[in-house]
Amino acid sequence: MGGTLPSPALPNLSDLIFETGIAARSFADFVTGSGLRLGVTGLSRAGKTIFITALIHQLTRAAKLAAEGRRNTLPVFRLIAEKRLTGARLEPQPNDAVPRFAYEDHLAALTAADRHWPESTRRISELRLTIEFERKAGWRPGPSSLSIDIVDYPGEWLLDLPLLGKTYAQWSRETLEASAAAARASLAAHWRGATLGLDPREPASEDQARRLAELFTGYLKAARAERYALSTLPPGRFLMPGDLEGSPALTFAPLQVEDADTEIAGSLAAMMARRYEAYKTHVVRPFFRDHFARLDRQIVLVDALAALNSGPAAVRDLENALADVLTAFRAGRSNLLSTIFRPRIDKILFAATKADHLHHTSHDRLESILRHLVGRAIARAENVGAAVDVVAMAAVRATREAAVQQGRQNLNAIVGTPLPGEEIGGEVFDGTGEVAIFPGELPADPRAVFRGETLAVSPGEADYRFVRFRPPLAELGTDGLPLPLPHIRLDRALEFLMGDKVR
Amino acid sequence: MSMPDNRPRPRAFRLDDVVIESQPDAFLVEADAALPAVIDPDEGAIEAAQKRGLLRRTLISWGGLFWSAAGALAALALGLWFDRLIRDLFDRSTTLGTIGLVLAGLALVALLVLLARELTAIYRQTHIARLHIALAEARAADDREAARTRVAELAALYAHRPETATPRALLKGLVNEIVDGRDLIDIAERNLMVPLDEEARREIATAAKRVSVVTAISPRALLDVLFVVAQAMRLMRRIAEIYGGRPGFLGAIKLARSVASHLAITGGMAVGDSLVQQVLGHGIAAKLSARLGEGVLNGLLTARVGLSAMAVCRPMPFAAERAPGVRDVAPFLFSEKKKD
Repeated sequence: MGGTLPSPALPNLSDLIFETGIAARSFADFVTGSGLRLGVTGLSRAGKTIFITALIHQLTRAAKLAAEGRRNTLPVFRLIAEKRLTGARLEPQPNDAVPRFAYEDHLAALTAADRHWPESTRRISELRLTIEFERKAGWRPGPSSLSIDIVDYPGEWLLDLPLLGKTYAQWSRETLEASAAAARASLAAHWRGATLGLDPREPASEDQARRLAELFTGYLKAARAERYALSTLPPGRFLMPGDLEGSPALTFAPLQVEDADTEIAGSLAAMMARRYEAYKTHVVRPFFRDHFARLDRQIVLVDALAALNSGPAAVRDLENALADVLTAFRAGRSNLLSTIFRPRIDKILFAATKADHLHHTSHDRLESILRHLVGRAIARAENVGAAVDVVAMAAVRATREAAVQQGRQNLNAIVGTPLPGEEIGGEVFDGTGEVAIFPGELPADPRAVFRGETLAVSPGEADYRFVRFRPPLAELGTDGLPLPLPHIRLDRALEFLMGDKVR
Repeated sequence: MSMPDNRPRPRAFRLDDVVIESQPDAFLVEADAALPAVIDPDEGAIEAAQKRGLLRRTLISWGGLFWSAAGALAALALGLWFDRLIRDLFDRSTTLGTIGLVLAGLALVALLVLLARELTAIYRQTHIARLHIALAEARAADDREAARTRVAELAALYAHRPETATPRALLKGLVNEIVDGRDLIDIAERNLMVPLDEEARREIATAAKRVSVVTAISPRALLDVLFVVAQAMRLMRRIAEIYGGRPGFLGAIKLARSVASHLAITGGMAVGDSLVQQVLGHGIAAKLSARLGEGVLNGLLTARVGLSAMAVCRPMPFAAERAPGVRDVAPFLFSEKKKD
């Protein structure tokens, strides 16, 4: 295949093989009759792990709690409200090559004595949950079961999906342009200085490549820091390398190149382009093919609050990242043929996570901000006939609500234990003891949060500030195991995502 | 970010420094509101009955398949016969043949029109039954958006009836205002449904009266039965028409099926309350005259059929209004009881 010379037929052929692979796998899935593939999509820190853990915990405990006569924690989920759920259990997942989702460890982290949020996900894992229920409609009412396959993965990797459609030169150009924007220029200065002073046509050298990759990674890491909370930072493995650390596929960086430069044999540009293509072929494509190409339902978790904390530049950045990522998914109305060979996502739920950081009276505003954030993706999905909904949600609810009297005003506040190091109104918390937090008010006009150039707004100037809390104290059931943790609208999410499959 | 006006700044309060009012948990309140939605036996019975008749997709059942196949065969036979007839007519004279052909064409056109009417009637009936379920759901969930669209659909159902103009105008105004989903549906029921309910109750009362009188004086048992069945069918159709349906032949069959299953499902409850008590209590009347007792019994039966028809034909559940009982629609059948 002519070294670095890209032949025009090649992409088509490889695309074709790629598509055939996906079709073959979905056909196999259809024949073996595995159930619902739920795509839990979200950038890093959006709350994927918590969502999956809470979902499993709620469903596996629901039948037993109902038998004990306890209050139903998922009233909007009709399957449970109608008392048709008879049990749920974890099963060995179908894919032997992927580690199992460490549900027990995550749950232990949340409910143990020193309760804390699970560590951020460093590698991919998978899980199959089978729920047993009584079907009341359809061809065959009576006892039935549904397997739900869920994948957890580092959210950083998701940023790679848009790369599938870009050449090296294109990606380089976009990355350089983005890094020149006001919000990022200072963070990227070091790396930009190094890369702009280089001639991409000079002979390739491994040292040079390593140095550039290091500087580039440094820039990405800095931009991701909580203070800035930027989102559009591909390639994702630079941030979370998994088992690829130090491999040549990760030793590349964008250069100031034209398409023609990458064709000069032996040049730095050619080497970088080759590595970029290798990254796409060996890292991104398998990841996409194995986990995202065959989804039935999708929940897109968005941590809008971190971006809001940082400022308008971060919010716009999140908007771009989500729009890019979501174009990689196939949405559309399903029919039998598509179900067999080319599954489409026929229902997408956009969820603003961590809704417990705000009083419920602000949830409508949070939802409308999210609707704006993912506006492009919503329009695209609705165009092709997929059902879309937006919800402010907290899979685990760490706060309760209260009104604080201050002078003549009655402020709607939330009460919880902030994480150590969190800061609001000049006060820094040590992680012990409950406090009431008034997070400020979100603007009534959702467009207001997109306006402006600010990044990393300091806590003193912001109109709103969202503090992270420790997980809530878990109550124990009669069997000594923790009861499902409180949540906000997890039941509504479940009803939307799989209510129609368990009628 | 300019220095903001008088908006409160984000800040923290130590719990021991400030006065804190605990608030009722909004999500628990919401959950409680959602809970009882699922369990209303009356509404459940109505929806189950609608599913067995009005909303049933006849082609899927074996019975439906049989009748469709048999009907198609009969149609083929008929077509063959027509073909031969027209040929014979043409053999005799061209004029006769042409007349025959024209007549056959007219018959075909009329058949198509009838068929189309039948289909629209069924579509309309299904639409009403679905509306009933959707309104019940929207009311239970207190869903404002769903309530708005459904109430608009409900009003559209009666757009061709001048007597409903005032309530329709009222609802049209309310749909754009901020009214909770549940309240909007209740308002629609009170304004739009109540006059129709009244009309339906009058029909039931008349039918029950007629049946009881005719049974009491009719000379033969067979005539009774025929009369009661005919009255029941007529009453069901009439009630369907009052609520906006126009059942044709197939529609009437579906309706009868729904009414029958509603009677079967709620039969147990009826035994508990009025029917059996009243029949037993009518011992006196029965002793006075066996025929009079029979008349009262048939009247009660007709009234119950009417009430079931009312329940399944009504485009919304009884919620703000109480569902009428036999005693409400046919008090004259119980007049002796009151003297006890």
